[in-house]
Amino acid sequence: MSEDRHTGTNDLERRYRRLLRAYPGDYRRERGDEIVGTYLEVAGPDRRRPSPADAADLVRGGLRQRLRAVGAPDLAPGVRLAALLAFLTATPLAAAWMVLEQHTPPAAGPLTAAWLAQGQHTPPAVWNAPYVGPFLSLGVGVWLVWLLAVLPLALGSVRWTRRLTGAAVLATVAVLPLAALTGLPRPPLFVLLPQVALGLVALALPERLPTAARLLPLVAVGAAAVAAPNLLPRAEDFYVSYYGWTASQILPWAAAALLVTVLLIGVGLAVRGDLRAGWAGVVLATPLGLMSLHVFAGAVDGVLHGAPRPGWSALAGTAVAVTVLGPALLPATIALRRRVTARLATPTAGRCPTCGTAR
Amino acid sequence: MWPSSAVRPHGPTRYLRVRYIAAVDTPLREPTFLILTALAREPLHGYAIIGEVAALSDGRLTLRPGTLYGALDRLTDAGLVAVDREETVDGRLRRYYRLSPTGETTLAAETERLRRNVEAATARLGARSRAVRPTAPRTAGGLA
Repeated sequence: MSEDRHTGTNDLERRYRRLLRAYPGDYRRERGDEIVGTYLEVAGPDRRRPSPADAADLVRGGLRQRLRAVGAPDLAPGVRLAALLAFLTATPLAAAWMVLEQHTPPAAGPLTAAWLAQGQHTPPAVWNAPYVGPFLSLGVGVWLVWLLAVLPLALGSVRWTRRLTGAAVLATVAVLPLAALTGLPRPPLFVLLPQVALGLVALALPERLPTAARLLPLVAVGAAAVAAPNLLPRAEDFYVSYYGWTASQILPWAAAALLVTVLLIGVGLAVRGDLRAGWAGVVLATPLGLMSLHVFAGAVDGVLHGAPRPGWSALAGTAVAVTVLGPALLPATIALRRRVTARLATPTAGRCPTCGTAR
Repeated sequence: MWPSSAVRPHGPTRYLRVRYIAAVDTPLREPTFLILTALAREPLHGYAIIGEVAALSDGRLTLRPGTLYGALDRLTDAGLVAVDREETVDGRLRRYYRLSPTGETTLAAETERLRRNVEAATARLGARSRAVRPTAPRTAGGLA
C-alpha cells in the first residue's frame, strides 16, 4: 500500500506513519504497512496517540535501519563503547577540577622558605585572583553535578546517570552566561569545551552494563580525587592562575590515556573480528581533539610564530577546527564504509568479468 | 563467533562480508533466542511473535514492533529466519516468518549450550546445599 492511501485513516495510524519517517524511504515503502499494522494491533482501541516509548522505539529502529542501509550496523555498539569511555574520562576529570577549585593558602615549597628568609616572598597569582567563597570559580557547582552522575551508575541506574550527565552538560554550558552576568570567575573555556564534548558522547550510555563497568567510574573518580591534591599550586608557582598551567598539562595526558585505552580495547576486540572500537575512536575524535588543544595549538603557534606556548588566537582557531572537523569524521567514515561494503558485496565490481583483474 | 551451522568464511574478503553484512553473534541474546523459539513451532506474523515472546518469558519481555522488526531483519540477513507468506487481514498486511534450517540448527545448538549450563549449575547448587546442610546439634552431657 502506498502512503497516499492512508490519508483518511485514523489519527493514531497517521501519527505512527509520521514517526515512521525515521526509517529510510525504501524501507518505509516496503515494510511501513507491516510495522504500523503491528503497532495498531499492539496499541488497542483506546489509544489515541503513540506513547513516548513507542516514539523512541520507532526513532531507534529507524536510526538502526539507516545505519544498516549504509553498511554500518556495528556503529551503535561502537557509540555505546565510546559513551562508556567518555563517561569514564569526564568524571575523573571533574573530580580533579573539583580539587583544584579549592581556594586555600598555597603550601610553601622550598623556594618560598628561601624567599621569605630574604624578605622577597611574592604570593602566587592564584591566591590573589578573584574567587567564589572558598572556591576559585563557579566551576565547583558544575563539577559537583558531574560527580553526582557517578552515583546512580554505581547503584545500577543508567537512566538516572544519563539524566544527571545531561544536567552536567547543561551546567557546563550554563556557567558561561552565569559568569558573564555575575562577574564571577569560571573555569577556562579549554577546560569546559572537552567536558561538554565528553558529556554529549556519554549520553549514549547503554542500558545494560556489567557490574565492573558500572563501578569503574566511581573507582576512577576516587583515584583522581586522591591524586589531584598533588597538582595544587605551591606558593612559588606564582605563574599559575585558576587551572591555567595545570589544566593544560592534565588534559593532553588524559587524552593520551583515553586514546591508548581505545587502541588496546580495539586490538582486543579486533582479534575476535569486532571492529566497534574503531567506531568508538571516530566518535571520540572530537573530545580527544579538544582535550589536546594545547598540543595542536602549540604546534601551530610554534611553527608559525615560534611561540613557546600557544596564544589565545591559536587555541581558539584550533578549537573551531576540531569542533568542525571532528564531527565530520563520522559521516565521512560511514561513507567510506559504505563504499567498502558495496565493493565487498559485489566482488566483481571494477574487475574484468573474464579474467578478474582490476580495470 | 559464527552461527553454528553457518559456513565459516575463507579469506579476508569473505570474512568481512559475512561478519559485517550478515551475522548474528552467539551466544544469542535473550530476545533473539526467544524470537527463534517463538518461531520453532509454526510461522508467525509480527504481532503473534510479540505475544509468544511475552508468554515464553512469563510477561517479563515485551518486544516493541520497532525492536522486533530490527531483530527480524538481522535474523533474515543472517539466514536464520525467512519470510513464509503474506496475508491481508482487515486491510492490514501481515507477513509471516518461519525458522530456516540454519535457524533451527542455531536454536538447537544454543538450547543445548543452555541446557548444559543449567545442568552444571544445578549440580553445583545441589552439592553446595548438601555441603552446608546443618548437622544435628550435639548434646553435651546428655539427659540420660
